Amino acid sequence: MRRALAAAIGKDLRMLGRSRVELAFLALAPIVVITITGFSLASLYGVGALGKNAYIMPVADEDEGRVGRAFREALARSGEVVIEAVPTGAEAAALIEHRRVGVALVIPRGASRALATGKPAAVELLTDPAKQREVARARALVHEISRDIERRARGHAERRLSRTWTRLERMHTDLTRAAESLARELDALPERLAAEQAAAALRTRAIEVAATRELRTALARAVERQTQVAAARLAVELEPLQRFLSDLDTAERAFGHWWSSIHRVVGRVPPPPALPGIPFAVRDLVHADSYVLAARLVGRPPSAVPGVRVPTLTPPTVPALPALRMPPLSAFPAIVLPGTIAVAERSTAGARGQANSFGRNVLGIGITFLLLGMLLGASLGLVDEQDWGTLARLRTMPAPLDVTLLAKLLTRCAVGGVQMISFLIVGRIFFGISLGAEPWALALPTAGIVFAGATLGLVGAGLAHSRAAALLLGVIVTVVMAAVGGCWWPLDLEPHWMQRLALAFPTTWAMAAYDDLMIRRQPLGAALVPTGVLLAHGLAYLCVGIALFRRRFAPR
Amino acid sequence: MQPAIVVAGLRKRYGDRTVLADIDLEVRSGEVVGLLGPNGAGKSTALAVLATLLAPDEGTVAVAGHALPAAAPAARRALGYVPPDSALYPALTARENLRFFSGMLGLDRGAARVAVARALDLVALAAYADDPVATYSDGMRRRLNLACGLLHAPRVLLLDEPTAGVDPRSHAYLHAAIAAAVADGAAVLIGTHDTEAAERLCARTVLLDAGRIVASGPTAALAGACGIAASLSLRTLRPPPPDWLDGLASVRVLTASGTRTALALDDPAALPVVLARAARAGGDVVELRFDRPTLDDVFFALTGHALRDDDGAGSLS
Repeated sequence: MRRALAAAIGKDLRMLGRSRVELAFLALAPIVVITITGFSLASLYGVGALGKNAYIMPVADEDEGRVGRAFREALARSGEVVIEAVPTGAEAAALIEHRRVGVALVIPRGASRALATGKPAAVELLTDPAKQREVARARALVHEISRDIERRARGHAERRLSRTWTRLERMHTDLTRAAESLARELDALPERLAAEQAAAALRTRAIEVAATRELRTALARAVERQTQVAAARLAVELEPLQRFLSDLDTAERAFGHWWSSIHRVVGRVPPPPALPGIPFAVRDLVHADSYVLAARLVGRPPSAVPGVRVPTLTPPTVPALPALRMPPLSAFPAIVLPGTIAVAERSTAGARGQANSFGRNVLGIGITFLLLGMLLGASLGLVDEQDWGTLARLRTMPAPLDVTLLAKLLTRCAVGGVQMISFLIVGRIFFGISLGAEPWALALPTAGIVFAGATLGLVGAGLAHSRAAALLLGVIVTVVMAAVGGCWWPLDLEPHWMQRLALAFPTTWAMAAYDDLMIRRQPLGAALVPTGVLLAHGLAYLCVGIALFRRRFAPR
Repeated sequence: MQPAIVVAGLRKRYGDRTVLADIDLEVRSGEVVGLLGPNGAGKSTALAVLATLLAPDEGTVAVAGHALPAAAPAARRALGYVPPDSALYPALTARENLRFFSGMLGLDRGAARVAVARALDLVALAAYADDPVATYSDGMRRRLNLACGLLHAPRVLLLDEPTAGVDPRSHAYLHAAIAAAVADGAAVLIGTHDTEAAERLCARTVLLDAGRIVASGPTAALAGACGIAASLSLRTLRPPPPDWLDGLASVRVLTASGTRTALALDDPAALPVVLARAARAGGDVVELRFDRPTLDDVFFALTGHALRDDDGAGSLS
């Protein structure tokens, strides 16, 4: 028994060791899958296998305020996105529509002001519904940042409130003290008012005395000043009269002398008429002292000047002051700014709601099995034909080998077409996937990927010379194309270099067309370019396949 | 009339290894020629060249008057190739297989229907025509394989090991079908290491070894032409006298011991005379063993090694 078991194991190991293709399958295929999966899914773990895997995220900061700045800084800090600043939301949306990015952030004008004033603010996340992973990451990131901004704003506000609270408490204390002081003051006010009234009466009396004294002095000074002025004026006014009287005296004496002379000369001459004499009152007035005269005119100040009486203003009686009752100052309520940042999400494609996850899976897995069927079917079919000998027989028949290839191609195309249509129908009926706005447009990428897959199968069949080689080639090519081309997970999950590499695979273009039609609900035109690329792939594969077949099966 | 198959100076190499050298061969319409040789002798390669699967490196090859490889498409219309494997689609029925190959041969629907029915009759598979080939025995597959090659009544029929591993009954059907094709005027070239089949079917035989023709000629006369005698061992009732074979020049005594005698017959046609004399001279022949020289013997005599690895020489008791 043991000997037989050892012999059987030994035989199996020897056979395995001599099957290079099988060994390659055991070693190479897992390595290929591990490599592809590792690179593709690296971003799930945050960091890509070849470094950071950051999306490009256009940010339209129309706000140009603190919120916008906070978002930009936080996004840049996160390392998950590379910010591409765009001036407006419209330009950000255009970048998504041109498939350059999967998500963009618009911070509308007034967001900072709204947040600062405690009103709800909103930022807008523009999304491509077909890039669900990128959208999901961006959504999570933007939500996290908005919560962080809110948290920081709240923290800032709470610190300010705390400071204000402290100040208010201090003011409260001061106010209380002031109120108590005021109350005391009020209580003492009537007595103080009475005292003040008494003091005021005394001050009034003193003022009256002083004022009377000052009045009298001023009056005497005014009389004296008027007397002097009047004396000066009398002196001036009386001076011509004095001179006239002096001249008159002189003239009287001269006339007397003359008259004496005349009288002596003439003898008897009747005396001249007598001139009236100057009244003594005038003579006294002329010769009187001007000051005395002025003093006589101005008169003396009254000896009894009445005292100045300040009218006594009797203040109104201080009414009974109400008792100052300070209302008790309760603790200030804790105030938190209500300002929040809402993240409004808008699909640029106008797709309704979230894409059905089956939508991608039905197509992705469908394409995977389509490729698997094409590659394995064509390769193993050819190997079978070789093993059965039918290929040799066919090569000796009048129909050229190209007819056989064409027949295989058309058969595979028909089978693939039915396969894909079945997937779509099953997906629609059982999983509710969206067939897009124009379901018949799905025929374009379906025809493209079926043609490309069938011709790729020809290439595989031309390369694989054995069943094991066909399996190895079919599985590896299918896995690589399906995984890298976005059939198993969204393409945006992969690092950028891998996304660029994926453009070389028909699966990428097929998935892009299906995404456009089914998830983005684009019209037929969106599928034209991808379908063209798929057909070009198919033509290239067809040429290579035919060349391989001719080279392999030409008589030599 | 020009032979249907003409091969002159054919040489074929796989890399540095020469697998066919200086092959000259002609097969006329209505003639069956056997290409006999051990495994690796070059039979299949020669047939593949004639079937347009391989191109000759040197020499001229023409099938139905079409020089190869230049006129391969025209030659393909005239030849029927029966590969060594059962070149059939197991999942299809016999009729479906035949219909498919009719289409590939360019027969229209009506002609195909007739050809399929005829081919099924030829190989006695009409009763199983609608059974999947996967359910067929090896013999049935061989017959259907041959039928596929006969569909378009080819002018040249190339058979590569058509009888390998088949039961006697299927042998008979195969022989009948080949005979029918020959009767229709086909030139048949059979590559085989089955000497019995070659002897039964082939008017001429070409012995091939290591890519070279070692002998060729009418199958029946090939042994004689190569100087190989048939052997006869007999026991008589009494010892024959020493002169009992006098006058028979083509008979030589190999050993004689009492009643047992071993003879060599250069001409197998002398057997009846020998037997008559033995009966007369020895009382009666009580035990007899006649070994006619087979193609295996011829091949061994010419090459020094056996045609087949599994036995020495063919025998007929």
